[in-house]
Amino acid sequence: MELLNAQTLSKLAGVKLRARAVVDGVLSGLHKSPHQGQSVEFAEHKEYAPGDEIRHLDWKAFGKFDKYYIKRFEHETNLHAVLVLDGSASMGYQSGALSKLEVAKILSGALAYLLVRQQDAAGLAVVTGEGFKDLPARAAAGHLRLVLDELEGVVPLGTTDLFGAADHLAEKISRRSLVAVFSDLFDDRQEALKRILHLRARKNDLAIFQIVDPAELTFPFDDPTLFLSMEDERRIEVNPREIKQSYLEEFGAFLKGVRTTCAEADVDYELVRTDESLDAVLLRFLARRQERRR
Amino acid sequence: MTFAHPWMLLGALAALIPLLIHLFDRRRPRPHPFGAISFVLRSQRRTASRLRLRRLLLYLLRTAILIALPVALARPELRRNAQIASVVRGPAATSIIIDASLSMRYRDGGTTLFERGREQARDALRDLLPDEPANVLICAPGALAPASPSFDRGQLRSMIDSAKPTFGSVDINRCLDMAARSLEENPMPGKRLVLISDLTANALHLNLPPPTLEGPNGERLVPEVVIRDAAAGKQSLPNRAVVDLRIDPALQLGPRAFQFTFTVRNFSPEPVHDLEASLKLMGQVVAKGFLDIPANGAAQKSLSYRFTSGGVFPGEVVISGDNLAADDQRAFIVNVPKELRALIVNGQPNTVRYRDEAFFVEAALSAPGSPVREITKDAEAAFHDSFDQYELILLLNVSAPGPEVSQRLVDFVRRGGGLLISLGDHVEPDLYNKQLAELLPLPLRMIKTAVDPEEPDADKKAAKIGKISVDHPIFSLFTGQAREGLMSARFYRYMLLEPAPGGNPGNGAPVVLATFEDGAPAVAIARRGQGRVLLYTSTVDRDWADFAIRTSFLPLMQRFSAFLSGSLEEREDIKARVGESVSLSSPGHEVVASVRSPSGATLPVRALDEGRFLVGPTEEPGVHQVQDADGRPLPDLAFAAVLDPSESDLARIKPDDLSAYFGEGSVKDSGPDSKQRRLPFWSWLIVAAAVAFFFEGVLLRE
Repeated sequence: MELLNAQTLSKLAGVKLRARAVVDGVLSGLHKSPHQGQSVEFAEHKEYAPGDEIRHLDWKAFGKFDKYYIKRFEHETNLHAVLVLDGSASMGYQSGALSKLEVAKILSGALAYLLVRQQDAAGLAVVTGEGFKDLPARAAAGHLRLVLDELEGVVPLGTTDLFGAADHLAEKISRRSLVAVFSDLFDDRQEALKRILHLRARKNDLAIFQIVDPAELTFPFDDPTLFLSMEDERRIEVNPREIKQSYLEEFGAFLKGVRTTCAEADVDYELVRTDESLDAVLLRFLARRQERRR
Repeated sequence: MTFAHPWMLLGALAALIPLLIHLFDRRRPRPHPFGAISFVLRSQRRTASRLRLRRLLLYLLRTAILIALPVALARPELRRNAQIASVVRGPAATSIIIDASLSMRYRDGGTTLFERGREQARDALRDLLPDEPANVLICAPGALAPASPSFDRGQLRSMIDSAKPTFGSVDINRCLDMAARSLEENPMPGKRLVLISDLTANALHLNLPPPTLEGPNGERLVPEVVIRDAAAGKQSLPNRAVVDLRIDPALQLGPRAFQFTFTVRNFSPEPVHDLEASLKLMGQVVAKGFLDIPANGAAQKSLSYRFTSGGVFPGEVVISGDNLAADDQRAFIVNVPKELRALIVNGQPNTVRYRDEAFFVEAALSAPGSPVREITKDAEAAFHDSFDQYELILLLNVSAPGPEVSQRLVDFVRRGGGLLISLGDHVEPDLYNKQLAELLPLPLRMIKTAVDPEEPDADKKAAKIGKISVDHPIFSLFTGQAREGLMSARFYRYMLLEPAPGGNPGNGAPVVLATFEDGAPAVAIARRGQGRVLLYTSTVDRDWADFAIRTSFLPLMQRFSAFLSGSLEEREDIKARVGESVSLSSPGHEVVASVRSPSGATLPVRALDEGRFLVGPTEEPGVHQVQDADGRPLPDLAFAAVLDPSESDLARIKPDDLSAYFGEGSVKDSGPDSKQRRLPFWSWLIVAAAVAFFFEGVLLRE
């Protein structure tokens, strides 16, 4: 099966279908790739290292792969994950088949699906201009439906408030969790991202999915345009050709800054274009996490 | 500033196009909600000032392009001459005088002074106000008064465009007077003369009164004089010129050898060393030499050449070129005597050489440089000889020949031969008159004895030559001391002739070229058919006269021979100076139909009386070829026109002298160089537009 592109996903109705399609793609991709497959399969295994308990060696796996693997206990693999969705108005920008918010919904839904499938607990925090909406993390299959339903109902609204979201999450998350943030990170406050990254300092595992529209990356406008803000009353009339170079420099510097900041904070960072294959995004993410776990 | 095509300036209105586009073509921008508007705002803030500057630059560049192109097409010229501005520019009838003398051919910086002067004349024409009438006078040799001033600028401009420098000297004072008079009739109160010249001292004579003109009430008015110096900025115009050439036979080098002695003047304060000079004949260099000439001095050089055959040869003496090329050469025509075969019929041979009748004649004709190759025979042998192999027969004291020989002699002469008859004791007048009646210029009458040579005071009583025709080529040499040598000869005995009947020499009438003191003919000539007969009434030995031992005997005998063979007076030394007319005499009475200058131009020819023609005035130096009515060349009439040496002296008049001459109030010196004053800058506008176009492209690509 080919990786799912945005055009294909846009033809599917609802987050559930889209997320499921992405997950199928991910699982299919994992199955096809021995390395990736092992990564997911071995979610319950660990390659033997000196010091590991010999009695936990998986002899079946040895017979199959001629390598030593250590079986892990059930309670050790249980992951507590919180999926944070930026529902600000800027996330509603769409130049192609999918808006940034739709991509964020699909990715977070697919990730929730994978988590629950692995008996991990998945929770949801939606940040919109109207405030925060939380679903506590649970591993039950029924909870997944709640998460997906909640995602379905998110509409872009208000300004991006990463600052508030960080404080809210710090207050809500009581144990070590995987916090996956799906946002365009368009918060004018300089310290907003760092505030989010503070969650990492509190022993949480943090993953940032920065979702951008291709038009935001390439600024493909020619004619004089009146740009309107999607979150407030700002507006500006410019000749895009005149400022294109400057815009690309500014935006490139912003992305580079985010990437650098995340790297410095030891946080997984994934730049997601709304026109790219989302299963590839998730596979990339999972592979990176597997690498980190080693 | 002036514009050649001012209507093109209307195109500059196109400069409004960018402004109009800016004002009226403001398209409504498309609204677009955009998530990353913060970055747009930041970018706009960052680039706002640069964009404003860029837009302003673009607007300025586009406007500059649209202004520069039509303004350039209008061909503007800036004038920044303070001296011009200082000229009182009241409206005035103007006459523009352009010096077209030889010196204006001087090359300076790749162009001639005349070219520069012509440009200055165009400037002067452009400087005129619209209500100023003008005329143009090209001051050439023989220039005519200009037409009345008019407003036909196109005609004046074409006059200036078609003007050419001459090779002659001009009288600028005369030209100024003519130009001033041409303004008299014009009702405009202001009168102005614009003189364009190199202001050499020989062109403008400051000892003559300055130009004036008659006012409406008969008063004398001094016109405003504007001088434009075609050689401005030059303290002096150094020049070298061949100013003189003398051609003499070089007897020491053998027959047909000539020595060309020429004088080269150095009109400059610097001496000249090793100046190459060459002698060219028929276009080929045949001799070369070098000269050292002191500053402002002259040097002579002689080059020699021996011709292999006789004839008329054109040639020139050439020195290394300088800025005035025309006077670096001097053309000439040299007449090289043809070799003459002469039969000397000795009527009184003698074993004692100096008593021999032909002794002195032989000596004269065989002298170095003589073109005559003679053979002497006694009468009996000579008369059995064939006359056809000779061009000349000399009957020296020969008894009258028989009828058959006489007839052969008549035939010989009529076919073009020359016959010299000298007399003596063997000549019987009656027999001569009978046998040679058809040939003798005048019939012989009787022998006259002035004195017996044996008498003690014979020298005093002897006859002498009384009168000679120095106009005739035979005697043209005998002037000054040479004449004395002829006149001092003593004649003891001579033949009297019958009186001359008168008539046209061309029809065979005799011409007496020399007479004794008593009026008796000494030398008489006559044309018989195609030939000539010369009768010398005394002896060519010492029996009747001592002329044979006189210094004038040798050249006279040679000239007798040359004349009789047709190679003497046929080549008259024609002196021709550029700018003057030339008088040509056609000895054979050929009709001179056309004369062509070295450049191929045809000169006017006017027939005078008795085979004389007036040609010219000549316009250029060099060899002029003459043709008859059938287009055949007449080489004997070809002539070389030479330049007036005074025009080679390019010493310039001092500005103070000019001011003193024309008066401080009327002289408005137009300044050093008109090219510096007039700044045609349309080409720079085109360049500026191209540069603006380039930068506009650069800005657009950013």
